[in-house]
Amino acid sequence: MTHRIVVDVQTGEVTQVEYTAEEQAAYDAAIAVQAEASAETPAETPAETPAETPVEPTNEV
Amino acid sequence: MPLSISGDSPNFTSATLTTPTLTSPAFAGTPTGVGVLTSGTAVASTSGTSIDFTSIPSWVKRITVLFNGVGTNGTSNMQIQVGISTGVVTTGYASGIGYRNGEATSTTGFVVGQMANTTLTFQGVVTINSFGSNIWTSGGTLSRNDGWAVLSGGFVTNIGGTLDRVRITTVGGTDTFDAGSINILYE
Repeated sequence: MTHRIVVDVQTGEVTQVEYTAEEQAAYDAAIAVQAEASAETPAETPAETPAETPVEPTNEV
Repeated sequence: MPLSISGDSPNFTSATLTTPTLTSPAFAGTPTGVGVLTSGTAVASTSGTSIDFTSIPSWVKRITVLFNGVGTNGTSNMQIQVGISTGVVTTGYASGIGYRNGEATSTTGFVVGQMANTTLTFQGVVTINSFGSNIWTSGGTLSRNDGWAVLSGGFVTNIGGTLDRVRITTVGGTDTFDAGSINILYE
C-alpha cells in the first residue's frame, strides 16, 4: 500500500499513514494515466552534435 | 526565593518584569509582541508520497520549510500545500518557479522544485507567510545537487479556515520520496 508520513509538531510523533482504499484507487488510476501517456509519447531523438572542424595550424612568417 | 513583581500593586496591570530568567516557558495563549521560533521534528523523506506537518498552532504567521537533500523517484515538480482542520487545500494557488533554463507553474500548490530527473535532490528553505484573511504567500530558494538554483514564489487565496498543516509533495502526487530529510520552523 502507498503511504504518507505525518509529523505532529506538538508531540513530535511521526507516523506512517497508509492510503485509504479510495486514495489507493485514485493513486492507481493516476499511475495508469501516466503509463498510458508515456507509452504514447515517442522517445526523443538526441540532437546530433555537429563534428567540430579542427583548426589547421597556420604558419605565420 | 519568592518572585518579586514591581508595579501598580495590587492589580499589577502595569507590572514590569526586569531581566527575568524563564526556564522552559510554555505559551498557553497567543504570543503577542514577541517572536517565538519553534522547530518541528526533522523527518526522513525517504518514503511516502507526501510529508505532512500537522497540529501547527493557530497563532502561527510564518512557516519555514527546510529541505535537506530531498529527492523523489520521479520527475514531477516538488510543491508545498497548506491545509486546515478538514484537510489539505488543493486549489486556489498561483505559484511559479524559475531556474536556469526554464520555468513552471502550479495551481494545486506552491511549486518549489524542478525535477528534471530522478537523481536530483534539493536543499534550502521556503517560507510560507500569512497575508491575513486566510491568504498565504510563499517564497524561497532551493539549490539542486547539480548546482542549479530554483527560485519560487506564490500565493493561495482564502483557504477557508485557520492553517494547521503543511504538506510537502509533488505536483503529480504519485512520486515517492527517496532521499533526504525535511523539517519546519514556525513562529
